[in-house]
Amino acid sequence: MLELRNLSVHYGHKRVVGDVNLTLAPGQTLGLAGESGSGKSTVAMSVLRLLPRTARVEGEILLDGDDVRTMSWGRLRAVRWASASIVFQGAMHSLNPVRRVGDQIAEPMRLHGTPGSVRELLEQVELSAQKARAYPHELSGGQRQRVMIAMALACGPRLVIADEPTTALDVVVQAQVLSVLTRLVAEQDLGLLMISHDLSVLAQTCDELAVMHRGELVERGATREVIANPRHPHTAALTAAFPVIGDPAHRWAEQAPQPEPLLRVRDLVVDYGRTRAVDGVDLTVGHGEIVALVGQSGSGKTTLARTIMGLRKPSSGRVIFDGAPVPVKGAALKAFRRQVQLVLQDPASALNPRHTVRDAVAEGLRVHGIRGDEESLVSAAVERAELRPAELYLDSLPHELSGGQQQRVVIAGALVLQPRLLVADEPVASLDASVRGEIVALLLKLRHELGLASLIITHDLGLAWQIADRVAVMHQGKIVEQGSVEQVLLNPTHDYTRALLRAVPQV
Amino acid sequence: MRRGVRLWGRLGGAALSLVMVAVLGFFLFRVVPGDPVVSMTRGRPTTAAMQAELRAQFGLDRPLHEQFFSYFTSLLRGDLGTSFTFRRPVADVILERLGPTLLLVGTSTVIAVGLGLWLGVRAAWRRDSAFDKATTGVSLTLWAVPTFWLGMLLMMATGELFPSRGMRDTDTAPDFVSQALDVGHHLVLPSLTLVAVVCAEYMLVMRSSLLEEMHAPYLTTARAKGLRDDLVRRRHAVPNAVLPAITLVFLRFGLVVAGAITTETVFSWPGLGLLFYDALTGPDYFLLQGLLVVTAGAVVVMNLLAELLYGVLDPRVKVV
Repeated sequence: MLELRNLSVHYGHKRVVGDVNLTLAPGQTLGLAGESGSGKSTVAMSVLRLLPRTARVEGEILLDGDDVRTMSWGRLRAVRWASASIVFQGAMHSLNPVRRVGDQIAEPMRLHGTPGSVRELLEQVELSAQKARAYPHELSGGQRQRVMIAMALACGPRLVIADEPTTALDVVVQAQVLSVLTRLVAEQDLGLLMISHDLSVLAQTCDELAVMHRGELVERGATREVIANPRHPHTAALTAAFPVIGDPAHRWAEQAPQPEPLLRVRDLVVDYGRTRAVDGVDLTVGHGEIVALVGQSGSGKTTLARTIMGLRKPSSGRVIFDGAPVPVKGAALKAFRRQVQLVLQDPASALNPRHTVRDAVAEGLRVHGIRGDEESLVSAAVERAELRPAELYLDSLPHELSGGQQQRVVIAGALVLQPRLLVADEPVASLDASVRGEIVALLLKLRHELGLASLIITHDLGLAWQIADRVAVMHQGKIVEQGSVEQVLLNPTHDYTRALLRAVPQV
Repeated sequence: MRRGVRLWGRLGGAALSLVMVAVLGFFLFRVVPGDPVVSMTRGRPTTAAMQAELRAQFGLDRPLHEQFFSYFTSLLRGDLGTSFTFRRPVADVILERLGPTLLLVGTSTVIAVGLGLWLGVRAAWRRDSAFDKATTGVSLTLWAVPTFWLGMLLMMATGELFPSRGMRDTDTAPDFVSQALDVGHHLVLPSLTLVAVVCAEYMLVMRSSLLEEMHAPYLTTARAKGLRDDLVRRRHAVPNAVLPAITLVFLRFGLVVAGAITTETVFSWPGLGLLFYDALTGPDYFLLQGLLVVTAGAVVVMNLLAELLYGVLDPRVKVV
């Protein structure tokens, strides 16, 4: 059904895909794994000739025996969506924000003259028919992704390409979306080409696995076989990078002695209008302790973090830092904020694209009016974040750095103020598998060397297993379970924790 | 319930702006140097008694707060006062000039908006093409050129082809068709000037906002569905890209009423812009106040309309 022969893609002199050979039969499911920049999305886009004009595509892309590369525009438009469709990543941006989702699902059906109804398509993905009248922003992330799936099936294609369909969704929603997708693929006997950086996701959905590295296909085989006995070192690195909960080899945090409390949250309540986002939370972070706050999106964990940092006023309850309540305004609040620093999920948007590394790191010093040798303070912080030697990086702009380096700059910007607590909101969620491990190791090293405590907000239970001393599980504004990592993740007592653990895809 | 509250909030905000404008209008022009009674009687021999009588007639001898009170209460009744120079109610004077201004500035704005948005879309869709470079270059040049200079240049370049003064000839036959043709003939040069000068604004706003959307993933989705390029543009790209231009366009529609002072002066077009210019030389307090209230009112109303329309075009924004 789909056959790629010696597919190569160049941008100028840069080769992004080289000599890829791949076949996919009807009803077959193939996972394409790789890190960002490995060329996996380029391969997907080339199937429907969606690459930008600047791309030079060589080789053959046979879709049902026809070469997509040499098709006329009219033929190509007829093939698009009717023969093969794509479930794009990030449904928020891949759906038109100002049109109702029903219209967007119906659009290709009208265009290709396919019979069928939007209602049935929505029912297939377990959404009610009323959702057709919703705009994308009115739906949750999981619902939007289901809309994308419904849209992809609208014209009855035989091949569906899913490009990171569940990235940015939390584990529970990810499990739901994956089960909808796999069920439909099996029911309608579709071919599925699924692209992901997450091997465990591919392991759950695909019979076969192909691994890309630097534009080349380095390994291909049955999924179990590839994961159990990786032949290429890169595949081995990918499989090793995802922590297995319960595996002592993936538990990187050394046991910390029972520390004195640094941050204490007592019976905290935060309301947004009539919604109670945080509902009576008690939480403690000790000196030098790493606590993971896990929960689904919408569980209130980000609101809790913002309140701890003094960015939001609690409706009731107290936040006590180092024995004193967190000040609510003025110089005292500013001084408090210096001690608690934030690391955000996506370093690419957390950094100002027009500020050099030096400016980004020095900004905190300037805001807090810290005297002293700015240059040496900034260099020291940058080197602490393991960007060595600092001079190489100080004048770089964010877009010149890789994702991992960008996240190190964000961390350096926090470190320069010599904080005592780091609040990290999904610090590795947007990073590649190999880089992820390095950032986790960095956070642990900072704790070891500086005694820096961290509150890590994540929906990734594997990360919690890797790094945390204690875990607090948050659900609908309440902490439903907390305790040591081993206790909570290996012997969960609350149903919600069990549900979260069940949803984690297993390799 | 919530919708109602939000709508009333918007309306209340607009009303408050109008009151502020009315207050500001009164005091602003009292600071303008010049004595209206002196300029009213200029060139004629007058005695102090006659001047005092004129002052009393227009209420200028009363304390400022009393003047303001009577101005404000009559404003609420819709009475804008009496013009010193025309010796007629301000409302009548303004209404008389409103037609020509709406004709000239309204037509030009509609043409400029349409042309600008269309050019902007075309230019952005084929970025860096010859078309893009040419339109951007030309419209920027026209935007930079002083209006009066461009107007005079057009007059000279077209020679006797189009009339360059006023709105109609005195010797045109009184029937509708000949009158309309005559007005249309007079309209050519001033509206051409206006369109040329302001078109760039819309073109550039549309171009840059479409460029921002050009790499949006939903356009890739639309292409993957098999849509033709022009459908991708029309159905998906433009509805999103046009949003930032809406506010600008409506603010401009509001300012239509202000007339185009430079263009109307250059071409002696009997509109509100020319009236504004004349009123300032008085200074004709009541006329100036009236013009300010009418212009600002139009801007406030148009802005309100823009916000309401925005809510319709962009479902993410909750206006009402």
